[in-house]
Amino acid sequence: MSSVIEQQSEAGDVPGEGAAGPAHAAPFDMKRVLRRETHSSRAAAAGLAAALVVLLCLYALLESGVRAIGQPPWLIDPHTAADRIVALPGGMPPLLLGVTGAVTAAAGLFFFLSAVLPGRRARHLLEDPRIAVVVDDEIIASALARRARLAANVTQEQVMVVVSQRQAVVNVRPTSGVPVSENAIREAVEDELRSMAPVPMPQVRINLAMSGVIGA
Amino acid sequence: MTSTPRILNRILIGILGFKLLSVGILLMLLATVPAVGTWWQSWSRSVWDGANRVFEGTRFPGRTESWLWIVLALVLVVLIGLMVAWVAQQGKGRTDLLLAAEDPGGVPGDIRIGSGVAEQALKNALAERPDVAGATVATYEVRGQPALKIRLHPRPGVPPQVLAADTSALVAALETVVGQRTPVLVHIAAGARTRFSRAERVR
Repeated sequence: MSSVIEQQSEAGDVPGEGAAGPAHAAPFDMKRVLRRETHSSRAAAAGLAAALVVLLCLYALLESGVRAIGQPPWLIDPHTAADRIVALPGGMPPLLLGVTGAVTAAAGLFFFLSAVLPGRRARHLLEDPRIAVVVDDEIIASALARRARLAANVTQEQVMVVVSQRQAVVNVRPTSGVPVSENAIREAVEDELRSMAPVPMPQVRINLAMSGVIGA
Repeated sequence: MTSTPRILNRILIGILGFKLLSVGILLMLLATVPAVGTWWQSWSRSVWDGANRVFEGTRFPGRTESWLWIVLALVLVVLIGLMVAWVAQQGKGRTDLLLAAEDPGGVPGDIRIGSGVAEQALKNALAERPDVAGATVATYEVRGQPALKIRLHPRPGVPPQVLAADTSALVAALETVVGQRTPVLVHIAAGARTRFSRAERVR
């Protein structure tokens, strides 16, 4: 820890010189970058969707190409396929049809929801005068858990912290026979949060388990 | 930081999702509600007959196949091409130039600083820290302007504000060297390296 503080004070004198560099031609839109950084790009869903469409197209291409040059079909002739689709409730067990429909609908729902929902990522912003900082909620939780563990004087396994957009829930299982002060934990966690200052600031909730852990 | 076309992603994924969803619901209704079955058979029969008539009207002279098949194949090829182009747009935006400026002095020529300078310098400075399990630095071009993205994987329990402040100081030092303010985004990320690496004991 001490080396860290030294580094900070050493480099703290530099900014005055750094600001003397040439000014930007256009202002950099950091707000837009941060908005994009805290929301999903849906690149994975896009890749999946594109792969699906390409596979379907390749198959249709194969069958229609085979048909165009007058060769026998590979899996099913487009005409036979269309005839079967037209006759649909018949010619297929209803259970299989229903399951196929359910799977297709589930896949559709996944794509539809990932397009429509805001796609917020579990991340918070930190204020810094020079750089933009994005922190995964898991990192915040891990830092809070460390503070709570030290304040409660328990082992790592007895503390679990869940951080969401507006809430930080600290679950502590005290050691059997050793009293744990909820206020001390709350103060430690809130102090850590204050010095971290994530945006938006989560509310702290402490849950002390009724049963203790033996021999920890 | 990347120039992924997000609105296009949402629109295309939404269209595909809506189509799949309606097909799936139709299949489920066909399997369960008999009335939907009779409606489907009469409706799709009329559509199929119409399609057949079109196919018969577009035959090659003297042959049984329709040239519509070739048109269909071309459409499919174009669609595949579009899909490949769409995927190629994801996650683009890396650049290898940190600074490109004209030299105002008397010597002819201009200045270019490769992004490797900043990437290597920051990466080496950050990799020495005991509380960081891994660091990657990449340069992206955001709307025609180079910007640095630093991704840090801290060890468990490391307070992110300390990392952010130190990185800020490092960036300030780099700026004095390069002589230009580069926009910097720091992402303090969780990952396998964070989760399973040993917590730093001596602090």
